[in-house]
Amino acid sequence: MRTLRKNEAKARLATGKHVIALEGLNHADTVERLGPMNPHAVWFEGEHNLVSPPNIADLTRAADLAGTTSIVRVNRVEEGIIYQALDLGAQGVAVPHVDTREDAETVVRAAKFSPLGKRGMYGSRQGLGDPEFFKKANDETLIVVFIEDVIALDNLDEILKVDHIDVFLVGPGDMSQSMGHLGEPFHPEVTRALEDAVKQIVSAGRIPGTVGNHSNVARYMELGARFFLTSPLEWIDTGYQDLRARVGATR
Amino acid sequence: MAELRVNKAKEKLARGEVTVALASWGYGGADALERLIDLEPDAIWLEGEHGEVDFSNIGELTRAIDLIGASPIVRVHQNEPGVIYRTMDLGAQGICVPHVNTREEAEAVVHAGKYAPIGLRGAFTSRQGIGVDNYQAKANDQTMLIILIEDIVGVQNLDEILEVDDIDVFFVAPGDLAQTMGRIGEPHHPEVQAVVDESLRKIVAAGRTAGALVSNENAAHHLEQGVKFFLGSPPPWMETGLIEMNRRAEA
Repeated sequence: MRTLRKNEAKARLATGKHVIALEGLNHADTVERLGPMNPHAVWFEGEHNLVSPPNIADLTRAADLAGTTSIVRVNRVEEGIIYQALDLGAQGVAVPHVDTREDAETVVRAAKFSPLGKRGMYGSRQGLGDPEFFKKANDETLIVVFIEDVIALDNLDEILKVDHIDVFLVGPGDMSQSMGHLGEPFHPEVTRALEDAVKQIVSAGRIPGTVGNHSNVARYMELGARFFLTSPLEWIDTGYQDLRARVGATR
Repeated sequence: MAELRVNKAKEKLARGEVTVALASWGYGGADALERLIDLEPDAIWLEGEHGEVDFSNIGELTRAIDLIGASPIVRVHQNEPGVIYRTMDLGAQGICVPHVNTREEAEAVVHAGKYAPIGLRGAFTSRQGIGVDNYQAKANDQTMLIILIEDIVGVQNLDEILEVDDIDVFFVAPGDLAQTMGRIGEPHHPEVQAVVDESLRKIVAAGRTAGALVSNENAAHHLEQGVKFFLGSPPPWMETGLIEMNRRAEA
């Protein structure tokens, strides 16, 4: 017997703390080695990368053992894929391109059991050994929705009325594309739209997130964002190039 | 016809330049490794003595490394001809063999890692040789052999081992060395470090190439000792980046 694993990232957000979710580490052995760094969360990429039902269990097991919250970004707004990711062991789901209130309601319906939704009934890997799983699961399930299209900005007031969504993540990449600035996620117009959206989310009493890095995290914290999707790749680049410089290596 | 892919790490060493390999532990998987392209790493060290690398994934991992222009180096788990040349046949440009303790063991590495007239590597067209005219006649020039001096008996036999030709790097590793000196878990113990320093000195004095696993902090020290082949690993760089990100979020 054991009790349902706590969702540490969700708990941090509930107390106003920030969460950094590390992405690009879709490899179980890599994730398990993160343990000593105490990351808040690990992000498994299934919208664009190799994460899919055959490897979600293995990846999220490594996250469980490392003591970090596992979040899977699924490929699209579709109930079956959302709860399958949770059943396989994800403690959180992130859903791309949530453009309307109906999309947001679909996400909640898929990710939460009754009475909040109607997630398919199945004992998740996270529920193994806890007879009270179905009663507790909603409290430990994190939901992130992506606000990343112009149409979602138009509908944002309505989307923000949907309860039980933990994070509204404004995504610069797709937003830049839908604003006519393909490949320019840091174009000033895009940044302004994202910052306005963050303010709107905060005004509604909800929690915003974005793609974060060393350069923008302080600014977004100041605006009220608390969730950061972050790639450690530039940190590896910094460390590697520093090592090179210290031994006089050329590229 | 394709040209045989140049071994970037071996070429740099041949020009007298230092080479910095990046260990894949802490940032594993073919997709993650391919994302290192902008770092322009000299070499990627795949861990098959202690890590998850084995015959089932060497093809996939080394393909990703070929595509970013780095040299794939695999540390195998034993000094066994079949293990060594099969690893090369699957795509490794370099091989690292642990626990080489005698002249005979060093000769066995060369025997397995080089085709005639130098050795007797099993005849087969490696993945690196696909489309290359007369691959086996050219392969030795692009094949890198690294041996680990990591037992006190290997240190005692070092003069003899250093007489074996066609070994590119003599890599001194303090972890196992400490264990064989009765100092398990104390690779930084002064007695162990004195043996490391003396071994590196001998390797350099013999006109051979010395290698070491380094941190950004101790790399310059090893450079002064004449080390030319450096191995760095991502976890400390990731940890530094994560600490800084948290600091900026909380500032």
